[in-house]
Amino acid sequence: MQPSQRLVQAITRRLIPEHELARLHEVAHRDAGQGYDEFGMHPDGVVLAAALLRGPYRRYFRVESSGAENLPARGPGIVVANHSGMLPVDAAMLYADVLGFTDPPRVLRAVADHFVLRLPWFSTLVARAGVIGGARDSCARLLERGELLLIFPEGAPGIGKPRALRYHLAEWRVGHAELAIRHRAPVIPAAVIGAEEQWPELFKLRGLHPFGAPYLPIPLTPLPLPVRYHIRYGEPIELGRRYAPEDADRPAVVAAAAAEVRVAVEALIEQGLAARRGVFA
Amino acid sequence: MSGVLCTGAGTPVGDAVARALAEQPGVGHVLALGGQAPLHPRIQAVHADWSRMRGVHDVLFGPVCELGIDTVVHGPLHRRASDGGSRHHALDVESTRELLRLAERHPTLRRLIYLSPACVYRQRPGFPETIQEDHPLQLGLGQPWLRDRVEGDLTVCARMGMGRLKITVLRLAEVLARGAGSQLEDFLSSRVCVRALGYDPMINLITPGDVARAVVAALQADRPGVYNIAGKTTLPLSALIAAAGRIGLALPGPLLGPLYGLRARLFGRSFVYGVNRDRFHYSGVLDGARAARDLGYLPREAAL
Repeated sequence: MQPSQRLVQAITRRLIPEHELARLHEVAHRDAGQGYDEFGMHPDGVVLAAALLRGPYRRYFRVESSGAENLPARGPGIVVANHSGMLPVDAAMLYADVLGFTDPPRVLRAVADHFVLRLPWFSTLVARAGVIGGARDSCARLLERGELLLIFPEGAPGIGKPRALRYHLAEWRVGHAELAIRHRAPVIPAAVIGAEEQWPELFKLRGLHPFGAPYLPIPLTPLPLPVRYHIRYGEPIELGRRYAPEDADRPAVVAAAAAEVRVAVEALIEQGLAARRGVFA
Repeated sequence: MSGVLCTGAGTPVGDAVARALAEQPGVGHVLALGGQAPLHPRIQAVHADWSRMRGVHDVLFGPVCELGIDTVVHGPLHRRASDGGSRHHALDVESTRELLRLAERHPTLRRLIYLSPACVYRQRPGFPETIQEDHPLQLGLGQPWLRDRVEGDLTVCARMGMGRLKITVLRLAEVLARGAGSQLEDFLSSRVCVRALGYDPMINLITPGDVARAVVAALQADRPGVYNIAGKTTLPLSALIAAAGRIGLALPGPLLGPLYGLRARLFGRSFVYGVNRDRFHYSGVLDGARAARDLGYLPREAAL
């Protein structure tokens, strides 16, 4: 066993109770020959991610989740959520939430912006946990294989929204609807409440593009604030049942389907905001 | 089928392909260009300088005609990435061009199976981690060895469907074998293997045996087109270094070019960091779905 593997095992054993560790080892995984899948995911990477996210998920952001029964137990699916918070902590919380509320645990394959794969260390860490680059072929391949994707149609502009626009969805891209129709995958709309307030931003250095990032955000605080996260999943939208796969090439159909998903996410956000007692409560 | 000319038979891949073809009951003669003893009883060795067009001509209109050979299995022949120059360009590209030209008026040749390396594909962060046949190619790179491989591949693809020659291009995952022209094999030949700090891309490896199986499958399926031939072993670069029993050391990427340039000059190694820079940062694993579907090829052997 390599020293890095021993370190991972020591960390996971320290951070995750034995029964939870046993449950996480049941995670479905397609081995491409040496324990990794073609995208670089490894069961140890998933367990490590679960271990590292356990503290932030349970104690720091104290995530409250509802509607997880809408997540498919098996087969393809696309979780579509609003995106915010300067850095993609919301993706990490959704990842931990899905891992915790599905049985056997399912890995939410988050679709990251291209620049994420250029980030040293981080790109490797997230790839081992199951994150993929935002290429259509990669998404299609995973859906064909029956995996669960996480897509933020707002993309990187979503996490850089000004404070005045919080909980207002930015430009809503339509790729998720096209994928859902073409691959007959249900869309599970999700709302993340709390991420908008988690990390106040001082300003953006728009002239700097480290590793291809659109800008360099300068936060007001060194760490995110301990806001309470609320994650709400809506009922699956079965685009694949209503449309034929060839409809994925009809722009008007795809736009209408994406708009339907957007309305569902907006409704969940409204419900979440109405139900929340306070930003930190 | 009357027979096969297999070029590059002096390499582990060429040797495995020639032997696998010789085992096929439907194959009459196997002519191995550069083949070395001991040969399979049904393999006949032929030697010629394919960096000269006369050499290509004389083989094609000499023994190939005499034996009534109808299929050529060919690929880039020069293996050392650190070399350059017109002779190597002639071996990798011009010989292929000449082969294609001569095949049009050749009395017996009907098929070409071209073995292209996966390094012809470009790997960037915005591209899919799994590489399909229509993936962007590595164009515009200054490395002559790599440029020749891309040019050879494109030269063959440009003739596809244009003449009477049936062309199948097999783009192969890395063959980790000495003498196969593998950049990774040379990289792993050092006790300490230095990779780019902060990156650990996925690598796909294939064995010469699986390449041979893919060639046989292409021959039997008789389906022209471009096919990715993936291997059974996919793993991160760091795990590959560990599996090879080497010491992995990660250094900032910009240092690696000069470091490996120095290594090539001092020790005569052929690993060129510029050729491998992208795949030492970003994952790119061949998607073999088309070959599985159309050729019936599936990898069988683990490369490690």
